[in-house]
Amino acid sequence: MTPQIEISHVEKHYGAFHALKDIDLTIPKGSFVALVGPSGCGKSTLLRSIAGLESITSGDLRIAGERMNEMPPRKRDVAMVFQSYALYPHMNVLGNLTYSLRFKGVAKADAREKANRVASTIGLEKLLDRYPRELSGGQRQRVAMGRAIIREPKAFLFDEPLSNLDAALRVHMRMEVRALHDRLGATSVYVTHDQIEAMTMADHVVVMRDGRIEQQGSPLTLYDTPANRFVAGFIGSPAMNFVDGHGSEDGHSVRLDALPGAPVLPLDRRVEPGRPVVAGLRPEHLFSGGETQFSVPIRVVESTGSIAYYTTDTDPELMLVEQGRGKLRSGDSAALSIAPGDIHLFDPMTGLAL
Amino acid sequence: MRRILSSITDGKGFDLVLVGVTMIFLLALAGLPLVYNVLLSFQEVDMFNLAAFQRPWAGLENYREVISQPEFGLVMKNTGIFVFGSIAGQFVLGFALAIFFMVKFPFASTIRGVFLVSWVMPGLVVGAIWGLILAGDYGVLNAILQSLGIIDGTVFWKSDPRLSIWAVTIANIWLGLAFNMMLLSVGLAAIPRDLYEAAELDGANGLQRFATITVPMMRSTIGAVLALGLIYTLQQFDLFPAITEGGPANSSTVAQYWAWQWSFRIFDFAKGATVSVMMLIFVLVASIVYVWSTRAEVRG
Ligand SMILES: Nc1ncnc2c1ncn2[C@@H]1O[C@H](COP(=O)(O)OP(=O)(O)OP(=O)(O)O)[C@@H](O)[C@H]1O
Ligand SMILES: [Mg+2]
Repeated sequence: MTPQIEISHVEKHYGAFHALKDIDLTIPKGSFVALVGPSGCGKSTLLRSIAGLESITSGDLRIAGERMNEMPPRKRDVAMVFQSYALYPHMNVLGNLTYSLRFKGVAKADAREKANRVASTIGLEKLLDRYPRELSGGQRQRVAMGRAIIREPKAFLFDEPLSNLDAALRVHMRMEVRALHDRLGATSVYVTHDQIEAMTMADHVVVMRDGRIEQQGSPLTLYDTPANRFVAGFIGSPAMNFVDGHGSEDGHSVRLDALPGAPVLPLDRRVEPGRPVVAGLRPEHLFSGGETQFSVPIRVVESTGSIAYYTTDTDPELMLVEQGRGKLRSGDSAALSIAPGDIHLFDPMTGLAL
Repeated sequence: MRRILSSITDGKGFDLVLVGVTMIFLLALAGLPLVYNVLLSFQEVDMFNLAAFQRPWAGLENYREVISQPEFGLVMKNTGIFVFGSIAGQFVLGFALAIFFMVKFPFASTIRGVFLVSWVMPGLVVGAIWGLILAGDYGVLNAILQSLGIIDGTVFWKSDPRLSIWAVTIANIWLGLAFNMMLLSVGLAAIPRDLYEAAELDGANGLQRFATITVPMMRSTIGAVLALGLIYTLQQFDLFPAITEGGPANSSTVAQYWAWQWSFRIFDFAKGATVSVMMLIFVLVASIVYVWSTRAEVRG
C-alpha cells in the first residue's frame, strides 16, 4: 500500500502551548483513518495541519509523496468537511458544489453536469436551486460532502461532520459516509470524539490525548489489546471498569483487593506475586457464563429492553452489561465471572499495559 | 381605563407609545421644516414678508432663475466632484484600512481606535487643521511633497481654482474615513472565518476570495456605507467656510454652500430653499438605495 499521507515527527506550538507532540502517522491510500480523543487533545489541530490551515512548527508532512510543509492550502488538493459545514450562504447548492471548479477553469456546462452527477450520488438532485438557509441540517451536511466529492481530491478531511445531526440520522450518515468512501476509493481522515463512530467507520483508529498519539491500530486491536489505561478506558462502551489489586502468590492470578471478598481471578499469563496492579474488566465480559468467581450487590438498574446496565454498590463502582431485559433488580446480588484472557492488567504508576 | 393602562405598561400599547413619540418628534422637527422649505421655493420671499406665511406664489420662477445663474453649471460640477471624489476616496481607503485591521497584530484595535479621532472632531476644527496643512507657503503637505520630490514649486491648493475643490474633498475624505472603516470592519467581522478556510481549500487565492466571498457577503454593508456616505457628504458644510469659503471665484462652491450663500449672504431665502430642494432629490435617491440595500438584512 502506498502511503497517501505521511506525518513524521510533527510538532505544533501555539505560542507557549504545545498542541501536537511528536506525531507519527502513515495513512495508506484508500484507507479510512479516525482520530479520536477527548476534547482539546489536538484532533482538529492535526487535521487542520494536514489541510494547511495551521502551519506545523517542525516535522514533515507529505501528501502523495510530496512535501507539503510550506504549501498553501489551495495547492494541497485536499477537501475538508467542516463541523459547521461552512457552506457559502450567498450561493445556492449548485453554486456551492461548483465553487471549486471555477478556479480549475472547468467550463460552466461541464461543471453543471458534474454537479448533477454528484448531487444524484448523495440525493441532492431536487435541491440544487436552494440556498443553504433553506436546507435542513442533514441536507446541509450532504452539500458539504458533495462540495468535497466534486473535487476528487487526494484526501478527504472530516472534522466531526455528524455532530450536529440527531442520533438516528447520525447512525445512518455514518454508514453512508463509509459507503461513499469505499465507492470513491478515497483516502479519508475523520475526526470525532465519539469512539463508536471511530470504531464502526474506520480501518485504522488513532487515539490522542494532550497532543500525543496514545495508540493507533485497527479498531479491534485497540479493543483487545489497549496499550495503556487511557486507551482502555476510552475505547469501548460502556467504559472499562478499573479495580486495584495485586498479583497473587501462584503468579498466575490476580487478587482484586478493592472488591468485597477480595476475589482471586485466574489469568492466562504470569504476573509477579505481590506486584500492585490495576485490573481492567470490560462490562460486557463480566457475565461470561462460566463458574461464578465473585458476587457483587446491584444498586442501579437501567434497562433499554434489548440491553440492561447495572451499577454495583461497591467502591469502586462496577458497570455491568447484560443482553436482554435484565433479570436482576436493585439490591440483588450479581454472580460474575470473567474469562482469563479478558482480564487487562495495567501498572498503577505508569498506566501501561502489563 | 385599566385595560389601556396595563396595555401601556406591558402590552402592544407600550410599543405604540414608543413609535408614536418618535413619529411626533420627527414630524415636528424634520417634517414641518421640510414642507416649509419646499413651500418657500415656490414663493416670492423678501425681507418684508419673511415672517408671514401667506406670500405671493412664484411657481417655478425661482427654479428657472437658479438654473440660469452663470455659476450654476460650475456649482453642479463642483458638487459632483466633491460627492463622488469624497465617497470613492472614503470607501476605498476605508475598506483598505478595515481589511488591514482585520489582520491580528499587536495594538491593532488600539490603533484602529485612534482613527476614530477624525469622527469625533467637529468639521470646523478639521477644516481649520486641513486649512493649515494645505496652505500654499507654509503648508505641511507642500513641504512633504517637495521633500519627496513629487512637486518642484509651491502648489496653491486653496487658491488655485483648478485645485480648490479637491482641497476640500481631501479634507472630507479624511473626515469620513473612520466612519467608513468602522462600518466596513463590522461587516467584515461578521463573515465567518471558516468560509474563508473552505474557499481557500477549494482553491481560491486571496483576490478570488475577496471577489467571491467578501464582496457578496458585504453587499448590504457596502450599500449602506455608500448611501450614508452620499448623505453625509451632501450635508458637509463646515469644511467650506473653514478652508476655501467657496472660492476663489466659486471654484469650490458646492450646492449646500451655495444654498447657504443665497439665504444668508444675499438674503434671498427663496433661492436658498430652491437649491436645497434640488439637493433633496439627490438625497432621496440615496435614501432609496440605502433602504433597498439594508432590506436584505431582515432575512437571516
Ligand atoms: N489558535 C489557537 N491558539 C492557541 N491555542 C489553541 C489554538 N487552537 C487550538 N488551541 C489549543 O490546542 C488544543 C487542541 O485544540 P483542538 O481544537 O485541536 O482540539 P480538539 O481535539 O479538536 O477538541 P474538540 O474535540 O473539542 O474539537 C486545545 O487545548 C486548544 O485550546
Ligand atoms: Mg475539534
